[in-house]
Amino acid sequence: MHKKSAGSVVLSAIFYVILILWALCVLYPLVWSVFGSLKDNQQFLLKMPWSLPEFPLLWENFSNVWVNYQVGTYFMNSLLVTTLSTLLALLLASTTAYTIARFRFIGNQVLYNLYLASMMIPMILGLIPLFFLLSDMQLSNTLLGLILVYTAMNISFGVFVLTGFFRTLPKELDESASIDGASDYGVFFRIMLPLARPGLISVGIMNVLSIWNEYVMGTVLVNDPSKYTLPIGIAVMQAEMQYRTEWGPLFAGLLLSIIPVLIIYFIFQRQITSGMIAGAVK
Amino acid sequence: MITVNNAPSIDHAVGKPKAGKGMNWKTKRKLFIFVFTVPTLLFFCLFMIYPIIQGLYISLFDWSGGSETKSFIGFDNYKEMLNDPILGHAIYNDYFLVFWKVIGIVGLGVFFAVALTRFRMKGSGFFRQVFFIPNILSVVVIGVLWNYIYNPSIGFLNSFLSLFTEKKVEISYLGDEAYAMWSLLPPAIWAGVGFVMILLIASILSIPTELYEAGNLDGATQWQQFVRITMPLTWEQIKVSILWVVMTTLNGSFVIVWIMTEGGPDNATQVMGSYLYQMGFRQYHMGYASAIGALILILSLITTLALQRIMRRDTYEMS
Repeated sequence: MHKKSAGSVVLSAIFYVILILWALCVLYPLVWSVFGSLKDNQQFLLKMPWSLPEFPLLWENFSNVWVNYQVGTYFMNSLLVTTLSTLLALLLASTTAYTIARFRFIGNQVLYNLYLASMMIPMILGLIPLFFLLSDMQLSNTLLGLILVYTAMNISFGVFVLTGFFRTLPKELDESASIDGASDYGVFFRIMLPLARPGLISVGIMNVLSIWNEYVMGTVLVNDPSKYTLPIGIAVMQAEMQYRTEWGPLFAGLLLSIIPVLIIYFIFQRQITSGMIAGAVK
Repeated sequence: MITVNNAPSIDHAVGKPKAGKGMNWKTKRKLFIFVFTVPTLLFFCLFMIYPIIQGLYISLFDWSGGSETKSFIGFDNYKEMLNDPILGHAIYNDYFLVFWKVIGIVGLGVFFAVALTRFRMKGSGFFRQVFFIPNILSVVVIGVLWNYIYNPSIGFLNSFLSLFTEKKVEISYLGDEAYAMWSLLPPAIWAGVGFVMILLIASILSIPTELYEAGNLDGATQWQQFVRITMPLTWEQIKVSILWVVMTTLNGSFVIVWIMTEGGPDNATQVMGSYLYQMGFRQYHMGYASAIGALILILSLITTLALQRIMRRDTYEMS
């Protein structure tokens, strides 16, 4: 663009308008759920959807939904399930990834390909057997069951990304540690894991997002409202809206599930975008 | 205090035997590899591989999910598919979504990426950040937001349209067979564009600027530069984007369907995944549902392989 003709100025202006429109399309539903979460039913039914919430703002929608709609329980369940599954998946994936990246043994490549190939298989094929597997193990309707399934679902991505990461770490480091008398375990936990922190954070953040947002497995494996995670709970709340319309609390609950995700996004943007690219490119 | 004798081999690939205390280094190393891979593998097999294989196996049975009534029927579930008009319609709907999502997501994604890089828009960082937000939201959140936009009586869309009409618009977007499938597209496209944009921006920024400068000197228009420089050099990423949309749609489009329409009205928006869910967990035809799962697997593999072939040839012709 070294010379600006009239045509290209017009073109730029048109593009600018389109970009702004799309930004509105993205942001407006979010802004609007903030407004919605502060309204009562009357404002939903009588006023225009884009009207601002009236004073006094109904902050009690949040406490109401937290306590009376059990969103507090869902939130804590989500927090517990997400944290434990992520940590467990990171442990299981990083050990395997390190071994694949650093040691030559029979089945090394097979193992790697197994994890890689499983990422292409639609999870829904395993949905029905998983349901019966968990009920045979007495794990249906338990958070432990969800944690185990979510962990398993996130292992392959971790193995895939972390294997690549461990391969980039210089070999000399663990070699010199070996000479100093550290065991293989010591080398891994005291030297390699700390070095792999950027990779672990990237994978961990992707795991956190996918588990926090997961709905399909959750809704099939858990039927007990006291064990719902946020996505399950909100989907159920929404389905019930057909019979009992309480929009304010619904949007308050929705926001409580979005806010942690947005915070994570603004802190770890770079890791999230590169993590998603890694997952898609394979 | 520990002698150098105790150190394990420093050469992972070949390994030089050295005397160790108790176990020799080779056994120790083998044990280490075992401890670091086998538990993960067993865990993964139990909760991922076994269910998938078991899914294929169940598809050969007539089974309601109870303990007594499981009878082997070979490929009868698959034969039954041929005479199931709902399944046919569901497959059609899946590819309807694939087709329009590829056009919408990849089209808009490429457009935004080009606008934000080649046209050096002010605030491009802001747009980039914002456009990506829907990609990190749960499908449940997306479904609830758009359900409200589409709500016939108090929703945003009808209220907005009513501003321009005398009579209040009361279209039931998700409840009317004529609109329902089309209404599923905007949320699906809305949720995917940001990722393709990010992928393409990275790719466009890696194109040497000299190429565009040379294009400018030759008097090439922005459009010509896009067709001759940007498209061929980002083709790899465009291909990845297309395959990404196809895979995620065939393997996962049922979630948004399930949240927004449950496959209704009257199965009009049923896709393979939502039909599987309904067959399995609403009508207890576990065998038939599993056969649908196998079909999803087969179709998604065939489609991606076919697309990879087609797009490879295209690249070849373009260069």
